[in-house]
Amino acid sequence: MNPNHGTAGQDTAEVARQLRDKIAAQFGRSLHIRTLDTGSCAVCEQEIRLLSAPHYDLHRLGFFFTPAPRHADLLLATGPMIRAFDLAARKTYEAMPGPKVVVATGACALGGVYRADPFVHGNIGEVLPVDVWIPGCPPSPLALLQGLGVAVGRLAEQTPGLTFVVGDPSRGEA
Amino acid sequence: MPFWFARGLRRGVVTTRYPARSDGSAAFLPTPPAFRPRQLTRQTADRLVAVCPSMALRRQDDVLIFDVGACTACGRCAEAAPDAVTPSGEFELATTGRSALVKKIPICGGTR
Repeated sequence: MNPNHGTAGQDTAEVARQLRDKIAAQFGRSLHIRTLDTGSCAVCEQEIRLLSAPHYDLHRLGFFFTPAPRHADLLLATGPMIRAFDLAARKTYEAMPGPKVVVATGACALGGVYRADPFVHGNIGEVLPVDVWIPGCPPSPLALLQGLGVAVGRLAEQTPGLTFVVGDPSRGEA
Repeated sequence: MPFWFARGLRRGVVTTRYPARSDGSAAFLPTPPAFRPRQLTRQTADRLVAVCPSMALRRQDDVLIFDVGACTACGRCAEAAPDAVTPSGEFELATTGRSALVKKIPICGGTR
């Protein structure tokens, strides 16, 4: 009907984007984190607690910790996923409102240390749908901050570009 | 503690600027190893695989498969073969794809 429909639609989209940016700038976007310990040795938890210390000050970035999964947007899961914890982990995940993000934290959550242990799954991905993986034993608060930034799409992930090779690997390679 | 107090007095804030700027303390973090393929032989690689406590390393013919996600940055491989392994200094390792953390290191030192 309207000959200018296409351009009008683009204009509307532009206005909607500006409005969304304005709302985001006005109220800020905050994200609430629920931590889930699936049999961790508690060192990951120590590092997570350091995030609220003055040096790292997680709250300046709009992240907050919440004790209730129903208030949480992000599940920060640590530990090798003990089998006895399956039900609790699933209930926690289901209690969270969508959209939700699951972040696996630490080497044992990623399938490192306890892979062969019969009492654990050895990898959080076997029980929960993991969106972001943060390696480290424990991941330092800086690594956790980067992981949270990746989880909310504010920081770019760098891992695909890293080779962990020193020197020129193409030279002399058969 | 005196260091942080002095820093706080000097700059007014002690909070890191991390995501916007780099943080100086990152240089002191234990980080996963990086490898020198020219220094790696099959024997060295097998020794590294045996010494790794978290099953982060395994060898497939002339490729050392390094699972960064499983690495605990304990430094035992760097201790076992200091000429072939050094700390990488990388700590920004978060990723959305688990397979992006599995790295293939070529073994170029022959089979000596």
